[in-house]
Amino acid sequence: MLIELSGVSKIYNQGRANEVRALTGIDLGVEQGSMVCLKGPSGSGKSTLLAIIGCIFPPTSGKAAIADRQLARLPDRFLTLHRRETIGFIFQRFNILPELTVLENITLPLLPLGVPPKERRQRAHELLERFAISHRAKFPAGQISGGELQRVAIARALINNQPIILADEPTAHLDTALSREFMEIMQQLKEAGKTIVIASHDPLVFDHPAIDRTVTIKDGKIHVS
Amino acid sequence: MPRLPSRWCSPCATARRCAEAMRPAFLFFILLCLLLALDGALLAAGRSRSKAQGASLGKLAAATSALGLTDLAVATEARYTRHPAVSDPMAPFMDHPGAIEHFPTGAFWRPPSSH
Amino acid sequence: MATISRTNLEKQLNILDYALSSLWRRRLKSLSVLLVFAAVIFLLASFQMVTQALTDKARQVLVHTPEITLQKMSAGRQEAIPLAYQEQLAGIFGIRKVVPRIWGYYFDEVRLANYTVMGMAVDQMPEGARLDTALASGAMPGPDEQGRAVIGQAISKALALEGRATFSLFRPDLSLKGFTVSGEFSSDTDILTNDLMVMSLADARDLFALPSGLVTDFCIYVANPKEIETIAKKIAAALPSVRVLTRPQIQKTYQVVFGWRSGFGSICLLAALAAFVILAWDKASGLSPEERREIAILKVLGWETSDILAVRFWESVIVSGLACLAGMTAAYLHVVYFAAALFRPVLMGWSVLRPELQLAPRIEAGDVLLLIAFTVIPYLAATVIPAWRSATVPADSALGG
Repeated sequence: MLIELSGVSKIYNQGRANEVRALTGIDLGVEQGSMVCLKGPSGSGKSTLLAIIGCIFPPTSGKAAIADRQLARLPDRFLTLHRRETIGFIFQRFNILPELTVLENITLPLLPLGVPPKERRQRAHELLERFAISHRAKFPAGQISGGELQRVAIARALINNQPIILADEPTAHLDTALSREFMEIMQQLKEAGKTIVIASHDPLVFDHPAIDRTVTIKDGKIHVS
Repeated sequence: MPRLPSRWCSPCATARRCAEAMRPAFLFFILLCLLLALDGALLAAGRSRSKAQGASLGKLAAATSALGLTDLAVATEARYTRHPAVSDPMAPFMDHPGAIEHFPTGAFWRPPSSH
Repeated sequence: MATISRTNLEKQLNILDYALSSLWRRRLKSLSVLLVFAAVIFLLASFQMVTQALTDKARQVLVHTPEITLQKMSAGRQEAIPLAYQEQLAGIFGIRKVVPRIWGYYFDEVRLANYTVMGMAVDQMPEGARLDTALASGAMPGPDEQGRAVIGQAISKALALEGRATFSLFRPDLSLKGFTVSGEFSSDTDILTNDLMVMSLADARDLFALPSGLVTDFCIYVANPKEIETIAKKIAAALPSVRVLTRPQIQKTYQVVFGWRSGFGSICLLAALAAFVILAWDKASGLSPEERREIAILKVLGWETSDILAVRFWESVIVSGLACLAGMTAAYLHVVYFAAALFRPVLMGWSVLRPELQLAPRIEAGDVLLLIAFTVIPYLAATVIPAWRSATVPADSALGG
């Protein structure tokens, strides 16, 4: 299991008047090379679960092991270092910085790693060619189409060859054609050996044949139907 | 505005391509070096001007000692800014005990300290 | 180990690249901040350079000022001193020479200019024989010559002599006294002689209608310069109501005549303080949503809080460093090549006779560091604290819509 969660809970503002229990008793295992969809309405805790899997913060209680690393009690710095090497993120609305060029956006994860410019450009161009957007390398990201933005976001998630890809509502603001295109790329990545977790309530995603398992989350708990 | 022939544009285009190829830190370093070189040149020029002015020190010394001069002749509008070293402390208040400073140079040249 | 250092160096260069790109993306705002900052530093550096250059010039020339200058005081004001004091001074051991002078100010109502008129027996002064070397033309009037004066360059221009060698000044009773120009001071000595008119003692007494037996002050020279203070005390004890000014005192006046506590210096400092408060307030007034989003995205992509702080730090260093460089360069050009033209209104005020200032400020490491300490460091402090706050934006805020 590349991702193993056991009895994971997350409580925001614990002990205060505005305490919020986002997750309760989550048990989840994701095997290497598989694609899992986290399904549920907004506010169900999908993003929180994704954040824990993505080593953004540790759980309040329970065990979370991502790529053989226990997250609980891991200091923030080590979480960041682990996240750098292990997780590639694809955000809802992609969260590309529009003032930066496509090339600069893709290579953002490589800057704190001390990767020299020549190597950064080389790695980025390989991905840009793979996704057929080399001609956009020097364009400001704010000036490219939605489909191209989507591919830029995926390229950024792959730049450091991370084994795990997490996508948070990736098709929420895409049309049907682009949503289908996105899932095709995810399928290719899965076949290339990546482990993918997608949080989405889009049927185009959770009904896609490439999805190995769908996990329904409701009110912070896994709902077994 | 007439378009320049392409042979005139090519140095600019080449420079722009070079700038794009270089990392920003390197470009910044070059800019810094250019600014520091300019400052160095200015300082050197300033120093040679000072040396040239040094030749006049002999004349200034002769004037000071022969005439018993005590002050620089820069602000001649009021006696306490013309001769701050030898003016009496009352001079800035010559008009009135509580007189407010009305000479512009009084804001730059401080009143004489009481000896 | 070498690989780790190289990687660390490359990481810092990457962060510097990002900071430069970030400034370039917001170039209008960055340039505005840089210009304001540079203007403040220009103002402070110009003031510091002008005052230092003038202080240096004063220090260089005033080593030759009389060892003791003696004035008479009455009700806190200077008044004419009796010539008879000369005999009492001669009796004080250690005094080598006493030279009386009559000097004062002549206000030319036509030209609205103040001339400093000085009457003395130049041949009695030390180096008196050398005074001709300070002249551009002509010669000093002899001890018995009357109605002849040596004038400074600005007086020559103000009187618009144009080939004429004579001019007239009004006595207090409004009768005219005629003078012939016997020489002009060299423009090299402008900073001392620009407004100066030197004549014989008798001519000055006539012009100011000063009664015989009185002079303006005495220049006193001692046998042993180390005894100046002792002799000064003896003089003060021996003569009533006198003011004894020693050479060290006169030199000290020029060490403190310029300073940040002067009116203009305080205005410069206040302007700098106001500018910094505005800059700091702008920085501390919180992050824009775009900035928060950018930080959250960077954090999710694997940037540590320290990396984000480093970006903000480099941005501040670049802006403040460039502003410092630009401001100080502009200040140097302003002071050396434009003779502090922007400060002339306060440096010379309503003066009609203005010397050509040839200022040569010394640029010392200590002064540069002091300026940096008062400008760059407060700016860094004003930006680092909000930067720390910004760097604690939670990474998960990038997740979700």
